[in-house]
Amino acid sequence: MTKILSPRLVIVVLAAALLVYPLVLSGAFYRDIGVTFLLAAISASAWNIVGGYAGQVSVGHSMFFGLGAYTPLLFYTQWGWPPMAAIPVAIALAIGLSIVIGMPTFRLTGHYFSMATIAVAELIRIFTGTWDFVGAAIGLQGPAIARGWWDLTFRSELPYYYLFLVVLAFLLAVTSFIERRRFGFYLRAIKSSERAARSLGVPVRRTKMQALALSAAFTSVAGSLYVIKTGFIDPDSGFGILISVQMVIIAALGGAGTLFGPLVGALILIPLQSATNTWFGGGGSGLTYILYGGIIVLIARFEPGGLFDLWNRVAPGLRGALRKRRHA
Amino acid sequence: MPDGGKLLDATNVSKKFGEFRAVAGADLAVNAGDIIGLIGPNGAGKSTFFNCLAGETVPSGGRIVFDGKDLTRASPEAHARAGIGRTFQVPTTFADMSVIHNVMVGAFLRHPHRNDARDKARAVLELTGLRPDQPARSLGTPGRKRLEIARALATEPRLLLLDESLAGLTPSELQEAIALVRQIHQSGVTIVIVEHIMEVIMTLTRHVLVFNQGHVIASGTPDSVVREPAVIEAYLGRSHRRPPPDPSPANGGG
Repeated sequence: MTKILSPRLVIVVLAAALLVYPLVLSGAFYRDIGVTFLLAAISASAWNIVGGYAGQVSVGHSMFFGLGAYTPLLFYTQWGWPPMAAIPVAIALAIGLSIVIGMPTFRLTGHYFSMATIAVAELIRIFTGTWDFVGAAIGLQGPAIARGWWDLTFRSELPYYYLFLVVLAFLLAVTSFIERRRFGFYLRAIKSSERAARSLGVPVRRTKMQALALSAAFTSVAGSLYVIKTGFIDPDSGFGILISVQMVIIAALGGAGTLFGPLVGALILIPLQSATNTWFGGGGSGLTYILYGGIIVLIARFEPGGLFDLWNRVAPGLRGALRKRRHA
Repeated sequence: MPDGGKLLDATNVSKKFGEFRAVAGADLAVNAGDIIGLIGPNGAGKSTFFNCLAGETVPSGGRIVFDGKDLTRASPEAHARAGIGRTFQVPTTFADMSVIHNVMVGAFLRHPHRNDARDKARAVLELTGLRPDQPARSLGTPGRKRLEIARALATEPRLLLLDESLAGLTPSELQEAIALVRQIHQSGVTIVIVEHIMEVIMTLTRHVLVFNQGHVIASGTPDSVVREPAVIEAYLGRSHRRPPPDPSPANGGG
């Protein structure tokens, strides 16, 4: 990162802004954007571990998100578990699924890997829509009225906001830890050249599997958080392709394979999405696709490295200009 | 220079691609402390044979034993762990990472902790003479080839396979690179080098294998092989008949 502003200062300012945001902008609309933003940032940061750092662009991460969303509500409707108690089960299932999915799909690289992940996620979505045990096309409902605090059913957005913020902070801490360890180096090496990585003794298959499992676990947590807040899930809101695409776009917009890239991407995309939805009302739901499509084109054409990359190129010049002005 | 027992023993190695026999029963025995050259015209099978030695290509037949272990069908990762390092004909550095981070990826093989890996990488970079914090993508071809050598050295190999690491260099860069390879060899690393440039082979190696059409057609000291009629006919004839030996980089892959 460039030192136009010290990175540590940027993090402190950002953290402070996120902490006070729902207190300063306390309207329901702003708080809703805040919660949606955090959830999107968590999902995209989770995707970033395997999609960004390791460069294995999954476009089927909704399979883990949906698993994380369905499991708590299934355990609630079937056995009356508090939704949050099923989060560890969902994590375990997501890791299991990641292994089953990773074994065959990691034999593929590049676009083939991406297409395989789309196909699997779509299969799961369609299958879920026909399976009565998980509510088929209608989906599942959570506790309407909290039986106790442990059901985490609040009327205010505020508790959700801070819960999500804690999870995001934890995920970023884990990512930052990985980034500086051997595992993180191996991920970036694999992204750059699997062949060269292998020649240096990097266990490529195993490392990719570990990255996918970790990414799946956190994506599943994002799904669980989503469902604990909304109290409802159906095949489209759990396993829909837009869920996966949103993760990819947010990470790519901010900078895939960078610690704060997904956060920056969510900071831009979510308010933009909320604004277009508000301006055009319910009739504008197809607009999301147009927005995503437009962003994909712009990133691919002008900034394949995302905004972080742009910043890293522009910042030294800015710093020079600032210094010049100070001396003038 | 440490002269030891047999480090690598490749016997009757062959590789078929469909009906095409790229390598047809090649043998190579390398003793610890050797520096051996593999030469031959384009398409002679050197690179395929080389990839078999590095574990990237699984041979169709034959046996490759390194340090007493059978590595014939082992993965490239297993080769690296066993102590075989390699470079690539077309440099494949990790472009998005800095020079030292590239080298650390190699160093992590024997030093799992970051600080140890960084120390190892610094030591290797001092030997190979690259600026640690430079982004790898900003390096030119000579720099990238040097970085590949550094990265492979960081895995602490006992055998280093150099695949045309000295091709495409200017005469002065070539002299520096030859000095580097010699230094690495003197530090106790056994070397097998594929090269087009005869000057490199003549100055560096004591033993040369000449490949043609998947076979080893000659082997011996550099001076003796260049006199063999089969070799002159297959490969050396053209460049060797030119009155003063041309030290400029040869073109093309093999």
